[in-house]
Amino acid sequence: MLLKLAWRNIWRNRRRSLIVLTSVIVGLVAIIISDGLSNGMIGQMLFNQINLNISHIQIHKKGFNNNKVVKNYIPNYKKVDQVLKNDPSIKAYSRRVFVTGILSSANNSSGVMIYGIDPNQEANVSIIKNSMIEGSYLTNNKRDIIIGKKLAEKLEVEVGDKVVAMANTLKGDIGSEVFRIVGIFRTASSEFDKTAIYIPDATEQSMLNIGNKYYEYAIITKDYDNVGQVQKKLETKLGNKYEVLSYKDLLPMLIYQIELYKETMWILNVIIGLALIFGIINSMLMSVFERIKEFGVLMSIGMKNSRIYSMIVTEAFIIGIVGTIAGLIIGLLLEIPLTHTGIDLSFFSTGLEAFGIGTVIYPILSVGNIILSSLFMPFVAIIGALYPAYKAIKLEPIYAIYYV
Amino acid sequence: MDILKTEKLEKTYQDNGVPVHAIKGIDLKIEKGEFLVIAGPSGSGKTTLLNLLGALDKPTNGKVFFENEDLTQKDKNQLSSIRLHKLGFIFQAYNLIPVLSALENIEFSMMLLGIPEKERENKALTLMDELGIKDLAHKRPNEMSGGQQQRVAVARAIINNPTVVLADEPTANLDSVTAGHLLDLMEQMNKEKNITFIFSSHDKQVMDRAKRLLILKDGRIDKS
Repeated sequence: MLLKLAWRNIWRNRRRSLIVLTSVIVGLVAIIISDGLSNGMIGQMLFNQINLNISHIQIHKKGFNNNKVVKNYIPNYKKVDQVLKNDPSIKAYSRRVFVTGILSSANNSSGVMIYGIDPNQEANVSIIKNSMIEGSYLTNNKRDIIIGKKLAEKLEVEVGDKVVAMANTLKGDIGSEVFRIVGIFRTASSEFDKTAIYIPDATEQSMLNIGNKYYEYAIITKDYDNVGQVQKKLETKLGNKYEVLSYKDLLPMLIYQIELYKETMWILNVIIGLALIFGIINSMLMSVFERIKEFGVLMSIGMKNSRIYSMIVTEAFIIGIVGTIAGLIIGLLLEIPLTHTGIDLSFFSTGLEAFGIGTVIYPILSVGNIILSSLFMPFVAIIGALYPAYKAIKLEPIYAIYYV
Repeated sequence: MDILKTEKLEKTYQDNGVPVHAIKGIDLKIEKGEFLVIAGPSGSGKTTLLNLLGALDKPTNGKVFFENEDLTQKDKNQLSSIRLHKLGFIFQAYNLIPVLSALENIEFSMMLLGIPEKERENKALTLMDELGIKDLAHKRPNEMSGGQQQRVAVARAIINNPTVVLADEPTANLDSVTAGHLLDLMEQMNKEKNITFIFSSHDKQVMDRAKRLLILKDGRIDKS
């Protein structure tokens, strides 16, 4: 009967309760959508970085990551090949020759990262093949090169034009080769499109005069959640002449940004919660003050303070629960279609591409976060009711009964 | 046997910083089964005395004994428990819970006692039938007349078989015929269930029904 009484009390002042309920619903919908969007952005940021060129795990010669010079090539790539081929947790890998250099056209030149790759291997670990917007993907043709759209714009070149790549060789000379652009790619990261170029690995090896040597293995594991274990396993198998780095080691700033972003989202949720708490306090206080006489009657017929307190908190809890259910339904109805269609934020394209996110964000529903948010609202409602309930039980029966 | 007893009972209010002595040293004994009316002019202290007897208010000085227990020594929860188990209240303005039906209003105090739903519904309906208000069972207070609401209030007050029912000006908002019927009902409950009724009233009709009349004047018993 207490529940029935609490429920009916809520609907005494329909308009006020609907306003509080709406604020709970709007708050929860805002949390669900902003959470989905932030998860989507974080997910896309990581996905793009991993699938562009970072991959799940990279293997180098020990010390290469901090000193990317030509002499730091992998000591025995055949050993690495052997280890990777025999490991069932590896889905694909790509050997890379990798050096910084300069790419020049007839009109301009620009500092670049020159990736020498086996086009077929690279297609299994990166999305570069699927990011081609003009021409075709790289072949093993010795003079072929593919470059990013931004770089093409800077160098004022297009498919079919010639460019010259230059880099320091193993002996310290300048090695250079002439290439013909066979394709132009565009990824979610404008920074990557400005700096990365791909040529066949054999051509780069010849240009650098290093023979059959590689600098990097980019590895995709079968299970994303298992990267840490695979990393440890490879470290053990390869020994201390190699460095085995996961994407977390290779993208420390991004991981830090993601953590910071998640914490910011929680702060935002807390702010929404605080705003709701004050709304609920206000509404419940009004409700309590309107019913002072009634609390006096309840006290006179022997209702204990603890029960009066519970009744008021229950009223707020019901608002929290009803608001949560409605908010969940509305939030999910709004968000589920967006997880498929994405939200086009091309208006902010410059900023988003600089962060490597892409202009269409696909929200990701996190069941854990939705459950937490669903618990959050009734909790917030209870917190908001504590003070009004306290005010109610502090009333003296005699004062309350004759309150006008 | 004295069911209620006061000793040198005093109550002083502060009205904008000015002390108002509402009750000035009342010694009173009330026996079980009495049908007592506390009468007197406005401001004589009737309602204050009734509230002190009903453990709704605490005296400034003196003592109130209920079944030989000193109410002034009890805490809030103990007083609530006494009101729930032993006392019933009827107010001038009926004071039913507006969001509950007549039946639910009557059931409410049984719910507080933890009586199962079916049992309390049967008990409430039986009493409503006795009082001739069974047809009001599912009506909300705003759908009932003043007399009907006061009958429901009487049912609410006596449903837990209290020892004492305290009624503060119960007929003040009723016409004389309705008031007469209500008093008949309370007299019947007094006789049949031996419930002690204590009224505060200056309604002649109520005073005429009193088995014992207590006249208050300026916070003191003027005539008993």
